[in-house]
Amino acid sequence: MQREETTPPNKTAPDVFNNRRAQVEAERCLYCFDAPCTSACPVHIDIPAFIAMIRSGNAPGAAWLVRNANALAGTCGRICPSEVYCQPACTRAKQDAPVLIRELHLYATRSERAREFHTVTSPRTGKRVAVLGAGPAGLGCAVELSKLGHHVDLYNDGPPGGVPLKSIPPFRLPEEDLIHDTGILGRFFTAHDGTIDAPMFGGITGNHDAVFVAVGLGRDRPLGIPGEELESVFPVLEFLETAKKRPHTLSIGSRVIVVGGGNVSLDAAATARRLGAAEVTLLYRRGEQQMLVWSAELGEARRLGVEFRFHAKPFEIVGRGRVEGVRCRTMHLSAENDDSGRPVPVEVPGSDFLLPADSVVVAIGQDVRAEWLTGLGRTKKGFISVDGNFQSSMSGVFAGGDAVSGEGTVVRSLAQGKQAAHAIHEYIMRKG
Amino acid sequence: MKSEQYGSAGPGPVRDLSYELLGIQIENPFILAAGPSTDDIDMVRRAFSMGWAGAVLKTTSVEGTRVDLAYPMMSSFNHDGKLLFGMGNIDLISAHHIDRVESTVRTLKTEFPGKLVAASIMAGKKEDWQSLVVRLENAGADLIECSFSCPQGNIGEDPGKMLAQSVAATEITARWVKEAARRIPVSIKITPQVTDIVDVAQAVQRSGADALTASNSVQALMGIDIYSFVPNPPLGGKSTYSGLTGPAIKPMTLRTIAEIARHVTIPVLGTGGASSWRDAVEFMSVGARCVQFCTLVMHHGFRVIDDLRSGLSNYMDDMGFSSPLDIVGKALPHLAVHDDLPRRRVRSMIDESRCIGCEVCYVACRDGGHAAIDRRESRIPVVNTERCVGCGLCPHVCPEACIALVGVD
Repeated sequence: MQREETTPPNKTAPDVFNNRRAQVEAERCLYCFDAPCTSACPVHIDIPAFIAMIRSGNAPGAAWLVRNANALAGTCGRICPSEVYCQPACTRAKQDAPVLIRELHLYATRSERAREFHTVTSPRTGKRVAVLGAGPAGLGCAVELSKLGHHVDLYNDGPPGGVPLKSIPPFRLPEEDLIHDTGILGRFFTAHDGTIDAPMFGGITGNHDAVFVAVGLGRDRPLGIPGEELESVFPVLEFLETAKKRPHTLSIGSRVIVVGGGNVSLDAAATARRLGAAEVTLLYRRGEQQMLVWSAELGEARRLGVEFRFHAKPFEIVGRGRVEGVRCRTMHLSAENDDSGRPVPVEVPGSDFLLPADSVVVAIGQDVRAEWLTGLGRTKKGFISVDGNFQSSMSGVFAGGDAVSGEGTVVRSLAQGKQAAHAIHEYIMRKG
Repeated sequence: MKSEQYGSAGPGPVRDLSYELLGIQIENPFILAAGPSTDDIDMVRRAFSMGWAGAVLKTTSVEGTRVDLAYPMMSSFNHDGKLLFGMGNIDLISAHHIDRVESTVRTLKTEFPGKLVAASIMAGKKEDWQSLVVRLENAGADLIECSFSCPQGNIGEDPGKMLAQSVAATEITARWVKEAARRIPVSIKITPQVTDIVDVAQAVQRSGADALTASNSVQALMGIDIYSFVPNPPLGGKSTYSGLTGPAIKPMTLRTIAEIARHVTIPVLGTGGASSWRDAVEFMSVGARCVQFCTLVMHHGFRVIDDLRSGLSNYMDDMGFSSPLDIVGKALPHLAVHDDLPRRRVRSMIDESRCIGCEVCYVACRDGGHAAIDRRESRIPVVNTERCVGCGLCPHVCPEACIALVGVD
């Protein structure tokens, strides 16, 4: 296939509207009552109300409404997928096209910069809750618990921010937006920086009224095939984290194969192109329809010249020291579906082929990394198992976010953190 | 409801907006005007609990007064796709007579002692006006508003004419009302449709009334179906003039309030066309001591109070104001008669870096100004400084707001 030699654009994060553009877009909002967009938003931002505030010229009021519901307001303004949640629910779409809610959300949060964020909190309860992990779920829970009047100790290894900080590429999420968000949140909790382990976990459960575990995933799932130990094979988290922090130390060569069919694999492919790889191929064992990706990101990867090899699975990575190629086998989709409701891929005998490559990024999913979590019941897939109130198998220990539900959006984890905070509040207030 | 899962967020942090109006402490300047939204006690309860500072209950009358409503009563003046840019109604006063309104006032004052509960009244005879006042005062109303200006229907001897269109009748009637009110203030609600609003306002002041409510809806013909020639709203092939409200009448109300505030000393309660906190600030800046809302609520519900409070609060922070009263009258020193306006030479200047090349300013100036904007190959027009007199038309047609008027030395 002929490849276009194009320079990838610097960023794909949405642009911030200017005042005029925001006014025009805000005018399109119908100001629905009990609005479907608000119901569809996992954190239930009162969308028509904040858009009406933009319309009236009350941007600080709009910013407050957004941030009060969404602790990572600036971050979500950049990376919330527009194809699920609020925008598809927009009533205006039945007339012509949905209101560009995310862009208005971003506009509102950006125009707050000059102001402090004040919030109304309940009277102090004297209760203490420990939150483990400062990603979206942990932050969402900590902020909500603090608003409910509880003291929150937030334990995290390193600065707060979780996945958005560590591995969401800067072209999707400008770091300043995340840092502005987490900067505002500091006043809601006491932060403790350090490694979390079993003895520490024991101590924490002993001197808090409840614990919320939001440690995320963090362990890359290996392919489990020969050659995975070669020097230029990168687990995707390591790849994305290094690309963000020390891109010059990554030696990926000119031909990169990314294995996987999710949004993280698209991030990796786009990152590889931006790092200068001339040929980036995404290898996925099922078809395009079965990919668990946002179509906007898929389109973006295509625009960047990422090539797709569907219905193909690697079974050996070959090379001496460094990767030289990947042996693959063609797959066909059987009539049978797996747990995810997608057809099971089956190997086609005698269909092997070799794809030359200088490096491989493995992006086939992640598992919970925290080994010390031995006391908590797990699901069949290895995630922490919880009931409808985010209560784990251990009394007083709640859990949420990716460690419970697997990889998801930032706003979903944030919403789980908020919901869990209300469950925790009920639990500790009932306990007396 | 799902969307209320974490409770309605409300307006967020709002500074103290309370102050004293006619001796009554009010929480903020936002009051519900007499109208459909204040005709039912449950509606007012909901409004109060959402943050409205007060309500003027829909105009009531003595028992036995016939209120002969005709439906449909509402119509819309849509402009450029904007619904209800102006709202027309042929509604009349409340179908609830004084007995029911007395009890509403009593209940509301018990449940919401901190809210301003005002009642609006309309009558014909002196004894009716006075008995309404006495009964409402005894029921605990904080303020009486007298509708001298309902443009639809008539109660009295002179159909087709509003009380406030007669200076003499206004003064006499206002005197009756004021005489009857022993403890609570009385405000006279006037119409902008008079030859000289100042004459009417001065008559109200002479009567001893405590305040003026300015102003009521504007009598208007809402539109004609050009295929049947029946005007709006259509009632079996007939129609009548409506009372026009909403954004369409805001500039008229601003002028009415300003003109009154410049000539009388009693306070003005502003109403008529305000649809945001900005409009409220404008009303207050020309002399209104509070702002009443009706059409905005009829369109979007009581929930609009959140933005009114939050927007005003943020605005006051920006301006360094400590009370809404700091705004009152701020614009008045800047008003002058035409003869006294400064004669300063100005001309238009186009910010070329922002111009998007629509050439709307060009055609507006060519056909409606002084042909003082020249076209160019680039589509970025240029002002002809010889011909431009600075009339100020072009800045208002520019969709990018990139034309400014600058002084000529």
